Amino acid sequence: KSHISFVMVCYEEQANLILFLQPQQYSYPSIFIYGHRASGKSHVMQVLFKELELPHATVSCVECVSVASLFEHVLLSFFGYEAASLLPRSPSLSDFVRIYRQQCSRSPAKQTRYIVMEKSELLRDADANLLPALLRLQELVEDNITVILLSEISWDKFRPNTGCFEPLLLHFPDYSKVELQQILSLDRNPSYSAEFYSSYINILLGVFYSVCRDLRELRHLAALNFSKFCEPLAEGKVKETDTHKLWRNIEPHLKKAMQTVYLREVSSHQWEQMQQMEKEADNCLFFPLPKGLSAHTHVELPYYSKFLLIAAYLASYNPARTDKRFFLKHHGKIRKTHFQKKNEKASNHLLGPKPFPLDRLLAIFYSVVDSRVAPTASIFSQISSLVTLQLLTQVSHDDQLDAPKYKCAVPLDFICAISRTVNFDIVKYLYDFLQ
Amino acid sequence: TPRHATPSIPSRSLPARQPANVLEEARARLHVSSVPESLPCREQEFQDVYSFVESKIIDGTGGCMYISGVPGTGKTATIHEVMRCLQHAADVDEIPPFHFIEINGMKMTDPHQAYVQILQKLTGEKATADHAAVLLEKRFSNPAPKKKTTVLLVDELDLLWTRKQNVMYNLFDWPTRRHAHLVVLTIANTMDLPERIMINRVASRLGLTRMSFQPYSFKQLQQIITSRLNKVKAFEEDALQLVSRKVAALSGDARRCLDICRRATEICEHSSTTGLVGMCHVMEALNEMFSSAYITAIKWAAVQEQLFLRAVIAEFRRLGLEEATFQQVFVQHQALCRVEGLQPISVSEGMAVCQRLGACRLLLLESSRHGVLQRVRLNVSQDDVLYALKAD
Repeated sequence: KSHISFVMVCYEEQANLILFLQPQQYSYPSIFIYGHRASGKSHVMQVLFKELELPHATVSCVECVSVASLFEHVLLSFFGYEAASLLPRSPSLSDFVRIYRQQCSRSPAKQTRYIVMEKSELLRDADANLLPALLRLQELVEDNITVILLSEISWDKFRPNTGCFEPLLLHFPDYSKVELQQILSLDRNPSYSAEFYSSYINILLGVFYSVCRDLRELRHLAALNFSKFCEPLAEGKVKETDTHKLWRNIEPHLKKAMQTVYLREVSSHQWEQMQQMEKEADNCLFFPLPKGLSAHTHVELPYYSKFLLIAAYLASYNPARTDKRFFLKHHGKIRKTHFQKKNEKASNHLLGPKPFPLDRLLAIFYSVVDSRVAPTASIFSQISSLVTLQLLTQVSHDDQLDAPKYKCAVPLDFICAISRTVNFDIVKYLYDFLQ
Repeated sequence: TPRHATPSIPSRSLPARQPANVLEEARARLHVSSVPESLPCREQEFQDVYSFVESKIIDGTGGCMYISGVPGTGKTATIHEVMRCLQHAADVDEIPPFHFIEINGMKMTDPHQAYVQILQKLTGEKATADHAAVLLEKRFSNPAPKKKTTVLLVDELDLLWTRKQNVMYNLFDWPTRRHAHLVVLTIANTMDLPERIMINRVASRLGLTRMSFQPYSFKQLQQIITSRLNKVKAFEEDALQLVSRKVAALSGDARRCLDICRRATEICEHSSTTGLVGMCHVMEALNEMFSSAYITAIKWAAVQEQLFLRAVIAEFRRLGLEEATFQQVFVQHQALCRVEGLQPISVSEGMAVCQRLGACRLLLLESSRHGVLQRVRLNVSQDDVLYALKAD
């Protein structure tokens, strides 16, 4: 038992709660364990079962696309291949229970058998009878069996409408900053001292703790940036104890990492390459970043498609009553106060795009394009190809041909970039940005 | 091996006990499954069906009859009685011999199974549904010497409905063939079934030979029970009258009436006052059977559950609607907790309370994954809830 508590730092309480269930006696039919991502739910289970050598089957509900694979896996890990091969081709729950009882009468349980269901929130999408049956599986198969459900969602959102056997609820709390520090310090580099590594973790948590408490993410970031932290040491500029200088060196680097590698703009492989290049370029701090994922949003479009997209954007974000003012040359006299934004409505850019009919799109299109454009088949096919590129979306799929309605699905900076390529000042035409 | 999985009713190892005293005797006689010596109060209907089928058998022609009536009015029992009498008449050579086949829509997994069952009962052959249809078609349309008339009873007709209605169509079309010699008696619960679900060509073949069984009046019910009891003196006259009046007022269902009488004999037995089944026993049985389970459930619900129901009603009053989200109800619940001097419960506990009430069908809920936004409606009337909560 002492060995187990050594392996699992900061899990003592939970582990003890689970260990409290004596394996020789009948244990509670079902246990529901919930907690945030990376709070050690699966890990505790794995380590416990491995150390105590309890018979168990660990099933991930993501992998079980059909119940058949779930049943097969459970029978396989408890009774071996012969039992699993007894299952018919598309087994029902009663088939599973029947075969389980058969096998169980042949080899009765000496200890509690455990079924661990990971990501059990997906069970709610399975057959309506699966979750209630799993919760009282002990009763159904008359064997010393406990089903453990692991989830990130609380039990309130699981309960079927017709009621069910209530499982034992167990919560895995989040790690505190101290616990995170303790766990992250475990995987230190043996060539450096423990204090050195823990001071690195301290700096890392100081930067990242406010945005990220996910242990897996933090561990990944720690591994990525440690070589940079050690750089001044390798060059002999500072000593291990000179924490302030090390902090001065690493802090901007970590800030940059938060904007790039943490958001997966830059893959970790690219990030390592960048560090390599930086070293070669003589430690220049303001080394130009390679383009991240979101910088690649620029799309090459045909000339008229660009204008169609601009027209769609204007139609989506401008109210229809202002069209006359923006796009007609002789729109008559309009008092300026009429267009003064009343403070009753939020900006259209906050509310999202509005749907517009095809006619309005074409009217705006003809008015923003300087030259004369014939409404040829290519113009219309460009509209539908914009839909397939998901730059426009068709709303209300009632009719494909007769007065279809569209929405523009591109952000502002994208459309600004597009209009810059065709020398069109889109901001001047947007109602929201009217002075 | 699915052999082990086939469900079956356990067979009786000891023979059923002979009734020891008057009450047990009465109970055995009042059991729904015990066939009565005669069917009182259905003499007219019996006569109509009897003469219809008899004339068809004697003429060697075919025909259809549609019989309707609410459950427990003795439709199936009457037809069975008719067939028994006709069978007897055929045995003593008063009328030509005939086949009698019975199928029940409720006992079939699929409407097309009707063909298979008819064929098997007629000839003992086994065939797939399609093949059976072809064989039956051939059998009923081709002439054959010395063909016996077939009487087919179709119980629970509405379950034989398919989208193209070909099963019903065939059932009603075969009797119209010259060589079919087929009489079809169909039973269903509603009178307007042919007009409601059948397309014209099916309804027209069914024809207009219809008969509806009226619900029993209280006098008839009383007569049925007395005829069943047949001189076994177990009930007081007034008690019987009360039962039959109550049942006649609600549904006129004879089976219900028999159930209540049986329950009353049980109550009488347990109350250990030897003698007849009296008014009080019958009253108790009636209360057991007719009182609303919802009100009892609310009365015995936990404190927080009752409080939650009160919160639901308070929220409905505030909104003026019959629907509220869990969130809104829970705010009321917290306020009520404070007023009552109880410890306010957490959202999770509140949710558990709400979903337990939903599982008992006292509330109608959406799927639980909507969380606090799930909408709550009452499945009982507000007056019932208030009555149940006030009673204590």
